[in-house]
Amino acid sequence: MVVTFDHEPDVFGAISHPARRRMLDLLVEADRSVNTLAGQFKMSRPAVSQHLRILLAAGLVTEQRHGRERRYHLVPEGLGPLREWMAHYERFWDEHLQRLQKTLFKMSQE
Amino acid sequence: MKKTIQRELLLPQPREMVWRALTDSTKLAEWMFPNDFVPRVGHQFTFQVPPNPKTRFDGLVVNSEVLECEPPGRLAFSWSVRGLEGTRVSFQLEPHGDGTRLLFEHSGFDISQPWGKQSFRGAELGWTSMFEKLTAVVAGLAANGE
Repeated sequence: MVVTFDHEPDVFGAISHPARRRMLDLLVEADRSVNTLAGQFKMSRPAVSQHLRILLAAGLVTEQRHGRERRYHLVPEGLGPLREWMAHYERFWDEHLQRLQKTLFKMSQE
Repeated sequence: MKKTIQRELLLPQPREMVWRALTDSTKLAEWMFPNDFVPRVGHQFTFQVPPNPKTRFDGLVVNSEVLECEPPGRLAFSWSVRGLEGTRVSFQLEPHGDGTRLLFEHSGFDISQPWGKQSFRGAELGWTSMFEKLTAVVAGLAANGE
């Protein structure tokens, strides 16, 4: 079973917690069950499940049932919104280089 | 996805004037942010990005160090914000008629590479907090306007 969500995923919120980033790190290496993941953390298993639900909601992982076990799989494409950050930075410099040109124009009038 | 932001500008002003706009702390503040820049290799300085209550942006400090300073042709400084270390901003000025050709580059965005094991390793170095902070910066700056 694959769980999907229709609403806009909160990717930034999902990766804001160090435990969830660590979980993504672990899932880069291989798909893992809740128990395997929980073994890597000091927190309780329900707490680990709660973090996994947030990653699921953000579209960063999918959940599959294998018998009684749930396995989690990383969805790298879910990180797309983060890449847009680069585009923000391009706009930042375009604005500031425009301001530089205005400064230069003023200087040449002095 | 590109690792480097590059721009080329043709400016009517001579190199010496462009150099002054880049390296005089007051002029630099006019088009960037308040700063304590000094044109000397090794000098560490900051840009103080002001807060903007309208967008709930708390303000931010960019930490930089002058890496190259060869008047009037070449200036480079590091650009580090919490979580983003070691990107590099450079300006190259070449004579172009009576004016100047400005080659701008902001490099070092390794995190923009396709997501793989390597980029995830960066999580431990805090790239995610960089995303959060810089998204806020850019949103704040856009809202601050000119």
